[in-house]
Amino acid sequence: MNLNKLAWRNIWRRKRRTMITAFSIGFGVMLAVTFTGSGDYTYTNMIDMGASMGMGHVTVEPVGYNLKPTLDKRLTGTEALHKQIMTLDGVANATVRITGQAMFASARKSVGGAFIAVDPAFETEANNLLMRSIVEGSLFSDIGGRGAVIGSKLAKKLHVGIGKKIVYTTTDTDGEIVSDIARVTGIFTTGIDMVDGVMALLPMASVQKTLNYAPDEATVIAVIIKDQRHAEAMRDRIAVLPEAKNAAVLTWKKSQPDLAGVIAFDKAGNYISQFLVGLLIAVGILNTMLMSVLERTREFGVMMAVGMSPGVLFRLVMVESFWLAIVGLLLGILITAPWYYFLYNTGIDFSGAFGSDFSYGGVIVDPVFKARLFKESIMAILGGLFMLALLAGLYPAWRAGRIPPVESLKTI
Amino acid sequence: MAGEVKHIVRMQDVVKTYRQGKVDVHAVNNVSLEIEEGDFAVLCGPSGSGKTSILNLIGGLDLPSSGSIWVDDVDLSTLDSTALSEVRKNRIGFVFQAYNLIPVMTAYENAEFVLNLQGVSEAECRERVMQTLKAVGLEGLEHRRPDEMSGGQQQRVAIARAIVTRPAIVLADEPTANVDSHTAESLLDLMQLLNREQGITFLFSTHDQHVIDRARRVVRIHDGKVQADEVVG
Repeated sequence: MNLNKLAWRNIWRRKRRTMITAFSIGFGVMLAVTFTGSGDYTYTNMIDMGASMGMGHVTVEPVGYNLKPTLDKRLTGTEALHKQIMTLDGVANATVRITGQAMFASARKSVGGAFIAVDPAFETEANNLLMRSIVEGSLFSDIGGRGAVIGSKLAKKLHVGIGKKIVYTTTDTDGEIVSDIARVTGIFTTGIDMVDGVMALLPMASVQKTLNYAPDEATVIAVIIKDQRHAEAMRDRIAVLPEAKNAAVLTWKKSQPDLAGVIAFDKAGNYISQFLVGLLIAVGILNTMLMSVLERTREFGVMMAVGMSPGVLFRLVMVESFWLAIVGLLLGILITAPWYYFLYNTGIDFSGAFGSDFSYGGVIVDPVFKARLFKESIMAILGGLFMLALLAGLYPAWRAGRIPPVESLKTI
Repeated sequence: MAGEVKHIVRMQDVVKTYRQGKVDVHAVNNVSLEIEEGDFAVLCGPSGSGKTSILNLIGGLDLPSSGSIWVDDVDLSTLDSTALSEVRKNRIGFVFQAYNLIPVMTAYENAEFVLNLQGVSEAECRERVMQTLKAVGLEGLEHRRPDEMSGGQQQRVAIARAIVTRPAIVLADEPTANVDSHTAESLLDLMQLLNREQGITFLFSTHDQHVIDRARRVVRIHDGKVQADEVVG
C-alpha cells in the first residue's frame, strides 16, 4: 500500500473530526472569496470610476504637470501620439483633453472651479463619468462651439440652467488672464460634491483657441485600458513610443494618489483580516493533526519497528495534511460556489444604509456588495490555504518522526 | 566452511541503564549472548527481569548504554536512526504481544507493508504475501481488517508480516500472552513449523511455560543478567 492510500485511509479514521477540520478550511475559502472577491470588485470599480473622472488608467501629460498643473505646460503632437496609443493592444479608449482651473461666472455669481476640455467625437459614456452622469440636456456636439456641461451644484451656485450663458476665466500659455463665453448644454450629477460643485466640460477647440494652444496641443491624453491591473505594463509600453519621448506617462496611482492611498489602506486591512482568519484555520488543522499523531504514537512505534524510517513517517503525516487540505478545499469550493454566484450576480444591497451615492476616496462606491474574483486571486486563495494546511501539518509530522520507537511501543 | 555456525545475534558486554527519577536502573547488566542461525530460543524470566529490554536492543529499537550488538554482522551501535530503520526493515521481523497491526489495512496489506517499504515490485509482493498468508493459515482471509479477525488470526497476520521479508531473525515479545491456550498452541505450532521448514530464527521473550517448553534453547534472565543458558532440545 502506498503512502497516499494509507494517508487517505488514516484521515477517515475519525470522520467527524476530519469533516469539522475540512469544513473550517471550507469556510476559510468562503471568507477569503468573500473578502478578496469584494475587494477585486470594489477596487476595480473605484479605479475604473476614478479613471473615467478625467485622467484615465494611464495619463500622458507634460513633464512636471502632475506636481504643478499649470496651463503653460502642454503636450505637443497629441494627434500622432493619440493615434499611436489607440493602436496598442489592451487600450479601450484614449482621449485628448485639456484640464485646468477656471473661474466660472454668471450674471449673478462667480465660482472657482475646474474644467476638462474634450473632443465630443471621442468621448463616450463608458470612459467619461461626467458625460455618463448628465441628468439634464446633453453633451455639446461642436468641438469649436460654445457649449458647456456643468455640475448640478455648480449650476445651482451660479443660478444657471440649460441654455444659460456662463463666462469662464483662466490663464493662457503666457500667464495672461483670458476668458470666453459658453452656453450650458447639459448638467451632470455624479453624487460627489467635490465634482458636482466645481467641474465643467468644455469644447476642446474653443479652449485651445482661448488658451493660445495649437490644434494638436493639450495637457493630457487619458488612456482607458480594458483591464486596470495592466496599468503599469501599459504605462511602460506608452513611455517607449517615440511620440511620447518628451512626455510623462503615469498610472492612475500617480495621477490619483488619494484613491491609490485609500485602496492600499483598505487592502492592508483586508489582508490582515484574512491573515487572522487563516491563522485560526491553521490552528484548527494543527490541532487535528497533532491529536491524530498523538493518538497513534504506538502505531507509529510499530511502523518504525518494522522498518519505516522517521523520514517516511514524516512524509506520511504530511501526505495526510495534504489530503485534509484537498478535502477542505473541495468542500470549500462546493459551499462557496452558490454563495459566489449570488454575490457575482445579485449581491447584497446596502443602499438603504449608505445611500446610492456613497463616495470613498473621491469616487462613488457601488452600494451593492458584490464579488468578482480575478484568476490570480482564485489561485492565491486556494494556494494560500493549501500551503497553510501543509504548514500546519509540519510540526505534527516532525513530532511523529521524533518519538523513539521503543518509547512509542510503551504507549497504550 | 561446512558445519560452521553462523551467529545471527552477538551481544558483547551490553549494559542498558535507564534513569528513573534520580536513580539509575540497570535494565540490562553486562549481558553477552549469541543467537545462532536457525535457533528457536527463549528469553525467560519474571516481569521486569530485562528480557524485553534485551529484545529491544537486539531489534535496534533501543541503543545500549555500553557494549556492542551485532545483528547479521551489522554493528548496531554505530548506526543512526535511519540506518537502524534499514536494519529492522531488511533483517529483523517483529511479533508483538498486542499484535500491533495497522487497523486501516487488511490482512494482505499488513503483511505487504514491509515489502512496500523495501520497494519490492507489486508482482513479487503479491506472490510472497499470498504464499506467506497461506503458510500461516490465512488463505481466504486476506481482505479482512484487524477488527474483523480473532486475536489468533491477528497474531498470524503479525507473524506473516514478520516473516514475509525473509528476515535474519524474528523477535517475538510475549506473542502468546493475549490469546487463549488453544490459540497459543496453534501459533507455536506455526512458528515451530516455520523454524523447522524454512529455517527462520526465532527469539522469544516470554514467561509462558508453553513457549518455554517448545524452545530448543532457554536463556534465563534475572535482574538484567543472564542467569542460565541451556540447550534443551
